[in-house]
Amino acid sequence: MDKIYLILATVIFLGGFVLAVVALRTGKHGTGKLNVGLAVAGLFFQCLFLKERGDLHLRCPITNGAEVFVFISWSIVILYLALGRAFRLSLLGVFSMPLVFVFQSIAIISLLINDPGARPPETLDPWLELHAAMSLLAYGAFGLAGIAGVMDLILDRQIKSHKPGRLFYSLPPMKYLYDAMQRLIVIGCGLLTIGIVSAFFMDYHPTALHWMVTGTVWLVYVAILVLNLLRGLRPKALSKLSIAAFTFALIALSVL
Amino acid sequence: MSIFCLGVNHKTAPVEIRERLAFVESAIPRHLDEIRDLEAVEEAVVLSTCNRVEIYGAADQPGEALDRLAEYLISHFEVNDGDVEFYRHEEEAAAHHLFEVASGLDSMVLGETEIFGQIKKAYSTAQRNGATSRRMNKLFQQSFSVGKIVRSSTRIQQGSTSIGSAAVDLAEKIFGQLEGCRVLVIGAGEMGRVTAQSLKSRGAKSIAVSNRSFDKAEALADELEGKAVPFEAWADMLDQVDIVISSTGAPGLIVKKIDVAKALKRRRGHSLFFIDIAVPRDIESDVNDLDNVYLYNIDQLQRIADAGVAQRQKQIEICRGVIQEFLKEKGIEALVSVPVDHPERGSGSDSQPS
Repeated sequence: MDKIYLILATVIFLGGFVLAVVALRTGKHGTGKLNVGLAVAGLFFQCLFLKERGDLHLRCPITNGAEVFVFISWSIVILYLALGRAFRLSLLGVFSMPLVFVFQSIAIISLLINDPGARPPETLDPWLELHAAMSLLAYGAFGLAGIAGVMDLILDRQIKSHKPGRLFYSLPPMKYLYDAMQRLIVIGCGLLTIGIVSAFFMDYHPTALHWMVTGTVWLVYVAILVLNLLRGLRPKALSKLSIAAFTFALIALSVL
Repeated sequence: MSIFCLGVNHKTAPVEIRERLAFVESAIPRHLDEIRDLEAVEEAVVLSTCNRVEIYGAADQPGEALDRLAEYLISHFEVNDGDVEFYRHEEEAAAHHLFEVASGLDSMVLGETEIFGQIKKAYSTAQRNGATSRRMNKLFQQSFSVGKIVRSSTRIQQGSTSIGSAAVDLAEKIFGQLEGCRVLVIGAGEMGRVTAQSLKSRGAKSIAVSNRSFDKAEALADELEGKAVPFEAWADMLDQVDIVISSTGAPGLIVKKIDVAKALKRRRGHSLFFIDIAVPRDIESDVNDLDNVYLYNIDQLQRIADAGVAQRQKQIEICRGVIQEFLKEKGIEALVSVPVDHPERGSGSDSQPS
């Protein structure tokens, strides 16, 4: 049943993306609420999937690559729903959908080919659970920052080229995207810091590679923040760095 | 009991006719009384703007009411019978027409919003003077709903339709709200003044004006409630402003890439938007190649405005579909099937303008 929930969530996110693209192309507005509704519906099925997997493993369901991808997707959706409106970035959801769709499709394929099954812990370690959950939530925030970066680069290109296209009127202002990137990186760094600190209290001792990879990701994002604070990064530079840093973080995660 | 509409607008009558038919605002209550004293006219709302003069009403015999009303306007405003041709709509066509007007589909600038407020005001005046009853109340309430639905569910308001609005839209895409934006106007030309005023009306924080003739700079600065800057000092302001409008009559370039590049170093990543509406151009086109700097000249702004107009034209059918759907859903019967035995006149207080 868990896979059915995941497939349903994935189809809903794909539907939301297609609907938004059609609305943008045809000029029919007023689909914003429907998109949020679809994101909530997708989140609901994500939650059902994670609950089923949690019941299976008797712990936070982050025991294999597929679950990690679903957890990051869940983080992206939940952060978008929580912060998208506050950051005046309703279209962020539309841009998030393809990424979530890709992540979850990878997860579905992976689970259909080889589902590792239940992996209950010998003893439940709350610090381990906190470490994993916070770290992946941080990835969600970094993912959203990367998506905001993509939106900013698209808008920058449209304005620079003097040919504003259909997306021009639907994309949020560059200032809001810039502010959102900064805030999301701050949020991500905060969450990752909690994740790293909690790792010191875990019964399980991470490998040196694990420490190195996580520490490097943390350092990259902190460096972006410090650079921005000291020198004032230009929006385009921050966008490129957000995208590059998230790509690096994903590669780093795959190493683990 | 039917609803009807009679009128002229910018498409059907030249300004010479429209200005003769225009109602003086303070005299509208008296006109409303006179119109309702006409045989067959039961309710009336007068909508008189620079682009249209329309009278909406309700009557048992709309055909007769429309004839009386046309005669009244021709005789009252002393217009020759052959000079003016009123359009006449009855029942659903009248409602459809009002809904299109409220949605900005019948406006000179397609999709503009000012008409919405003008309809509200016209209705409010009629209501205050007891010239409306249930039919007009319902019709106008519905027109407000339709106007809102059309604007929120289509792109009829989207896109710029003039050089000024294109510049403002671009500025808002770069900076978000313009409340915190500082503007520098180089040159005291008319186009610069109009564009600066557009930015100011959208909340631009401060405006500085620089011109070779300092007197002209001061005059324009006074008008824009800004400050005048000596022409030799405009370059020093590049790190303090967000938007630069240049509209001098200089034969050569005024703003060069090297000056902007220098200023960028002091701006800590803040964007800079140049609007060059001078011919010949004032700003070196390579400025647009700098990161975080956006330059638009008058042709590029005009192209955006043209595209905006075309885009709005494409939306007309979508908007009409929304109106048709609304009419189908609510039904024109609701407007015309009100029992006739209720007090008709002076009972306009059963509904407030929204």
